[in-house]
Amino acid sequence: MTAISVDGVTKRFGSRRVLDGVSFAVEPGARLGVIGPAAGGKSVLLKIVAGLVAPDAGKVRVRGAIGMLFQNSALFDFLNVFDNVAFPLVHGMPPRGGAGPRPQAEPSEPREARMRGPGVAPRAAAGIDTGNIDQRVRERLRAVGLAGAEHKLPSELSGGMRKRVGLARATVAEPDVVLYDEPTAGLDPVTTSKIYELLRGQPSTAIVVSSDVEAVAQFADTIAYLDEGRIQWLGPAHALFHADDPRVRRFATGEAA
Amino acid sequence: MKRFIQSIGRQTMNAARDAGGIVVLLGDTIRALFPPTLDGRELLRSLYKMGYKSVPIVVMTALFVGALMVIQLAAFVKQFNARALVGWGTGYSVLREVGPILIGLMFSGRVGANNAAELGTMTVTDQIDGLQALSIDPIRYLVVPRVIAMIVTLVIMTTIGDAVAILGAMGMSKVVLDIHPLTVWYSLVDNLGVADFLHGIAKAAVFGAAIALSSCYYGLTVKGGAVGVGRAVNAAVVSSAVSICFLDFLMTYLMA
Amino acid sequence: MFRRKISRIGRGTLEAGRAAAELARVAAATLGGAVFGYWRGKRPKREIARQLYFVGNRSLLFVLTTLGFVGMVMVYQTCLLTTQVVDGRNQVGAQWARLLVLDVGPSLTAMMLATRVGAGIAAEIGSMKVTEQIDALRMSGVTPVSYLIVPRFFACIAMSVVLTMFGMAAAWGAGGLTGYYSFHINPRIFFDLGMVKPSFAIVGMIKAVAFGAAIPIVSGFCGLRARGSSEGVGAATTAAVIGSSFAVIVLDFAISWIGMVMLGASA
Repeated sequence: MTAISVDGVTKRFGSRRVLDGVSFAVEPGARLGVIGPAAGGKSVLLKIVAGLVAPDAGKVRVRGAIGMLFQNSALFDFLNVFDNVAFPLVHGMPPRGGAGPRPQAEPSEPREARMRGPGVAPRAAAGIDTGNIDQRVRERLRAVGLAGAEHKLPSELSGGMRKRVGLARATVAEPDVVLYDEPTAGLDPVTTSKIYELLRGQPSTAIVVSSDVEAVAQFADTIAYLDEGRIQWLGPAHALFHADDPRVRRFATGEAA
Repeated sequence: MKRFIQSIGRQTMNAARDAGGIVVLLGDTIRALFPPTLDGRELLRSLYKMGYKSVPIVVMTALFVGALMVIQLAAFVKQFNARALVGWGTGYSVLREVGPILIGLMFSGRVGANNAAELGTMTVTDQIDGLQALSIDPIRYLVVPRVIAMIVTLVIMTTIGDAVAILGAMGMSKVVLDIHPLTVWYSLVDNLGVADFLHGIAKAAVFGAAIALSSCYYGLTVKGGAVGVGRAVNAAVVSSAVSICFLDFLMTYLMA
Repeated sequence: MFRRKISRIGRGTLEAGRAAAELARVAAATLGGAVFGYWRGKRPKREIARQLYFVGNRSLLFVLTTLGFVGMVMVYQTCLLTTQVVDGRNQVGAQWARLLVLDVGPSLTAMMLATRVGAGIAAEIGSMKVTEQIDALRMSGVTPVSYLIVPRFFACIAMSVVLTMFGMAAAWGAGGLTGYYSFHINPRIFFDLGMVKPSFAIVGMIKAVAFGAAIPIVSGFCGLRARGSSEGVGAATTAAVIGSSFAVIVLDFAISWIGMVMLGASA
């Protein structure tokens, strides 16, 4: 049973074809890294898998709940660290993936969230009680090394700390799949390796979109090279630097053209 | 409760300070008009951006406002069978008051806000300082063309708006009161004259100046990055609205 | 070249149509969320109270000032007019009260709220959109409309009604002062509620509620569509102010028309 299956996904913005017939599958527990030149469609692909954007064609199927770490962490700036991490637990499970045509593009809500109904009283998600929330949030913050920062506001945190809070929030509800959009963009090498350490500690299936080719190649099992809307190369991570396709090899090793 | 009063007090103080600043800017602008060296290109650019793009919203607004006036008058008309009143009553209020005020408010919300945002972003990115370093007077280069452009544009918009509002009223009269549109038109031209039209236009010109000066002032005095720009836009729009209402009263009183 | 222009107009119209449909959806979601949420007992009181303070505190002075001046102008103009034809000065106060309750009070207050409150809502929600916080909300299983717009919806309706009443008081009072000082109208004759039927007050209140509902829906919608960076947020703010103001005018027109039809010639 594949955890994530993407089939013939196409997305156009105006006349530009950002994604053109993208297909791949990810087994449960496996890690996929997506690399490629900037504006090659990587972030859009991730958002389509997450259910935030609807593809113009193709199908996406995800088994289980999805958590997502955003490029700029996207922490709620009106809540402190604790409330940020507790948010998914307080307001309901992260949306579950489903088969078939995805719901309409934003600002419509994913069908899953709609099924829960508007105006549901804020209560803990099924199977989690309030005392438990406190415990789980603190455990997550400890795991990312931010115990003690509960009362800080996002504006008081550094970029790396915000990413870690974002990671805690994305994983606190123990989703089956976690999507990472440029988890280490703009971070120094030390912080980068710390973040990837945390990612390695996650048992869930993962897709990582990153421009840091070396770090991703070490972390992921499989790498997909996305360029001009298509997957130009898909293979095991260790084979990336010796790939047959010269474009891929050049991108991976940073050689001059 | 004490906090509430403090808040009112603070708001009043800020308002007074800003009012003073705007008057000073007015003085600077007038001073920059003599000798008349004008950046024609900047003026044309402003005219296009403010005028051409505002037409749709002005037309739509005016249409509904004209129709609304007729509904308000409808009760009287039916009661006293004063069908001849419709054109006159609608025309009087639209030309002299409702036209300039509502179109002025729409204009301030659109053009005033954009202008404050533009100048605010320029201030925050030090472009204003850059101009001064090149010994270009920002007032002469930026403010004067915009003030002139806004006055001209708002006058044109008000004229268009007046016309469309009257058309809307004519249409609505037929629909609701079964009065022939031409009856409305004749009632209007028989009782109102160019003086009424100019009354409104004069107000439009003054409003245009007020909106321009307000948005330029708040745009140029922005502090604190992107958040400050947002605050400046808000302040500009609010102060324009208050100025419009105040100046409307003043001019009505003086021109009576 | 001509063909390009036509295709641009065509595309523009299609975009506008799609946007209108999306706005209708947000409106329905907000109303639905508000009604069902209230019924199911979800009353985000703290959030509403926060919004009320935020909105009301900063808007009161603004509304009082603008409506006050408008009151003075309207009475002045009307007095000028009536003294020309036949001395109807004694009617002015009563007529002004009627017009205020039925139309000017709610709509002008709402226009002011549209600039003040509408801009604020669009800016807040817009900057959340461009920093992906809206996406983060959806990934956490929350519908942005019910979490962000519905509390503001309740707060704005309450604010609109309260501020409308304050505004009408200011406009009426200022008008009375003008009538007295400039045209020597006896205040006791001016402040006459005789022409205001209860049905007028109902229509006026319905308007205040409708306007208070429209502003957060339109502004929230514009905020949710913000794109890019701070420039996009600015554009969303402007669109919110214009859109809310326009919505107020259209609703004013519609409710007035319905009111006139239903209440007949007595309106």
